[in-house]
Amino acid sequence: MGGLGSVSAYYLAAAGIGSLRIADGDFVEAGNLNRQILHGTGDIGKPKTQSALEKLRNLNPYCDITPIQSILTDENILDMITGCTVILDGTDNLKARKILNRASILKNIPFVYAGVNGFTGMVSTFIPGETPCMECLSFRDTGQNEPIGIIGPTPGVIASIQSMETIKLILGIGDLLIKKLLVFNGMNMTFRKIEMEKNPDCPVCGRNTEDRQFNDSLNKVPK
Amino acid sequence: MNDTMEITVNGHKETVPGSSTLHSLIQHFKEYDGDLIVEHNGRFIYSQKYAETTVREGDVVEFINPNIGG
Repeated sequence: MGGLGSVSAYYLAAAGIGSLRIADGDFVEAGNLNRQILHGTGDIGKPKTQSALEKLRNLNPYCDITPIQSILTDENILDMITGCTVILDGTDNLKARKILNRASILKNIPFVYAGVNGFTGMVSTFIPGETPCMECLSFRDTGQNEPIGIIGPTPGVIASIQSMETIKLILGIGDLLIKKLLVFNGMNMTFRKIEMEKNPDCPVCGRNTEDRQFNDSLNKVPK
Repeated sequence: MNDTMEITVNGHKETVPGSSTLHSLIQHFKEYDGDLIVEHNGRFIYSQKYAETTVREGDVVEFINPNIGG
């Protein structure tokens, strides 16, 4: 329920989505408030899922919202996503994205990836078995632990696009960002779509994974 | 083959060696620090293909850093 999740949860609850599971292990901080629009000054110190739940229920009391105040782990992810129609990426680190990506493939649930940094953002919709997966992109963990600076409207733009993708997925309409990486640059106000194919050397969905057996613990998927 | 050619890199016209590959361009423009996405004529190019992907006159290349914040 950070910059991305604040916006997508709001729009999806507003759209009348029947049920949402919102997961976050963090607590609201003052530095969040430039972009995490589900939270306000009076929420500082609260668990983010609690703060989010209050606003989302006020917006749409008919949406069945399940808050999960926890970080994503290999041990809890399958319980988190089992039964879901779509997984929306609202994470802020590569490790969590990999957990979501692998669970998406294991459970055959579409995964709408998004990421932001400063004035830029990216979105793509990954359909297990049909498109590249997120790890085809070979993002490497550079070990950077410093917070990533994000101008407030950037996740506003990107999460709005995620929400639109999700609604189209559920309704089965429109053209999705499949096999396409949408790249937004707010400094020069450009959108670009980069065509993508599956990466045959992907450690998760590449051709060499045919003999690999995924199991519920996800432990046998290469890290 | 010409010694140099003109391509577009990150939106700017650039003169580069005529026998460039994506790998050599990454070195030339010092894009080897950190993480990298390479777009070549609108297509995402995986890193294992950088050395074998040749660049021609008029090509468009973008070096992009992945966004993982949220």
